[in-house]
Amino acid sequence: MSSVLKILNVAKTVKTVCTSISNKSLTNSLLNRIQCQQIQISQNAFFFYLSTRSFHSSRPCLDLMQFFDDPKNWSENEVKVGRAWKLEELRIKSNKDLHQLWYVLLKERNMLLTMEHECNEKMELFPSPERLDKVKISMENLETVVRERNKAYHLLETGETGERPSRVVYNALGLRHLYKSCEHVLPPHMNVKWIKSRNIGFGGRAVRKFLLLYREKLYNVKRKAKNRSRNEVMMMLRRNPNIDIQIIRSKYPDVDVDKLLRDDKTRGHFVPKVDI
Amino acid sequence: MSTRWYPVYQRGNPQLRIFLPNFWMKLIRPAEEQPKNVATFSVSMQMSKYDVKNYLEKIYKLPVVDVRTRIEMGKTKRDQTLGYVTKEDDVKIAYVTLPRTEEFTFPDLFEKKEEQKKAEEKSMDDSKQGFKRFLDRNKKRPGTPGWYSI
Repeated sequence: MSSVLKILNVAKTVKTVCTSISNKSLTNSLLNRIQCQQIQISQNAFFFYLSTRSFHSSRPCLDLMQFFDDPKNWSENEVKVGRAWKLEELRIKSNKDLHQLWYVLLKERNMLLTMEHECNEKMELFPSPERLDKVKISMENLETVVRERNKAYHLLETGETGERPSRVVYNALGLRHLYKSCEHVLPPHMNVKWIKSRNIGFGGRAVRKFLLLYREKLYNVKRKAKNRSRNEVMMMLRRNPNIDIQIIRSKYPDVDVDKLLRDDKTRGHFVPKVDI
Repeated sequence: MSTRWYPVYQRGNPQLRIFLPNFWMKLIRPAEEQPKNVATFSVSMQMSKYDVKNYLEKIYKLPVVDVRTRIEMGKTKRDQTLGYVTKEDDVKIAYVTLPRTEEFTFPDLFEKKEEQKKAEEKSMDDSKQGFKRFLDRNKKRPGTPGWYSI
């Protein structure tokens, strides 16, 4: 009897909790929507010149002037704009907002490219070219956020990231590279061209010689970098006898400082102080 | 990138939907004289005629009647001192025909530039003159600060 009562109680609490949660979620969603609108308005202020252009009194659709900047910016030497969109700002946006923002950015980029092209044609300076970079950064950030969401969704639903699969393969010269897989219309056993291409090996004498020289080149780059940093440390030790060894150790982790300290080359051109 | 990785289209599948298109379009001044309802665009190399039409209709809400495209080869140039040849990138040009009622002429963006340049030069000259006057006045008393006399 007691257990039944307990279950009933539990059911009751669950019900109340559910209703409260639904209320909360409703209010939350409402709040979110209001906040989104507020943010949207404030962000629109950032694209103020855009928004002024998008206010058409008549026939909003038939307008090629969307490809041009605001006429009052045409003869300016500098156009002042805000900064690019940051990742953390985009992360709190809904998918719909991001989708809309993408098209705003796309239109903005087209406008800037048009203006830049015309300026170049007319041998004029394009005012504030950093606008293009800002749009580019914003678009990259937006795409990153969309990608994060895609990844999370795929991981939740399928246990995989949903990213384009890639693997390390060797090309005809025996060099390793990352191959990004893609879908093919033909299955592998029917794709004769691909099968033929796989028959080309890289075991020949010429390729072996090339690989030898190529690897030597890579090794030389590494060796020279190592020597350079060692010489740098050596000169520093020679010129500054009281230098902090710990800083050098942390800055040049691959240089053997103890060995260098024993070396005669690190000693400066002065008579060493000998404690008597 | 996952947002740019599209499945291969097979017959019978739904048409490919692009949610974040990465195409760009530049409205450019036409090299030759065109009818008034034709606009010239420089577009992404990957865009087809249908892409151009859809792009303008869906994103810019423009009525498009016809699109024709061509690929303009980039100019080759020989380096004057070392003699090697460089080539600029090819560009795709799209001629977009709007309805007969539409008219578009490419605007002159730098109409006011001349006036502005003149005004700037004038202010520069004025300030130069002012400085010269100041120097002349203080010729016999070097090192006097500007606020010392009127």
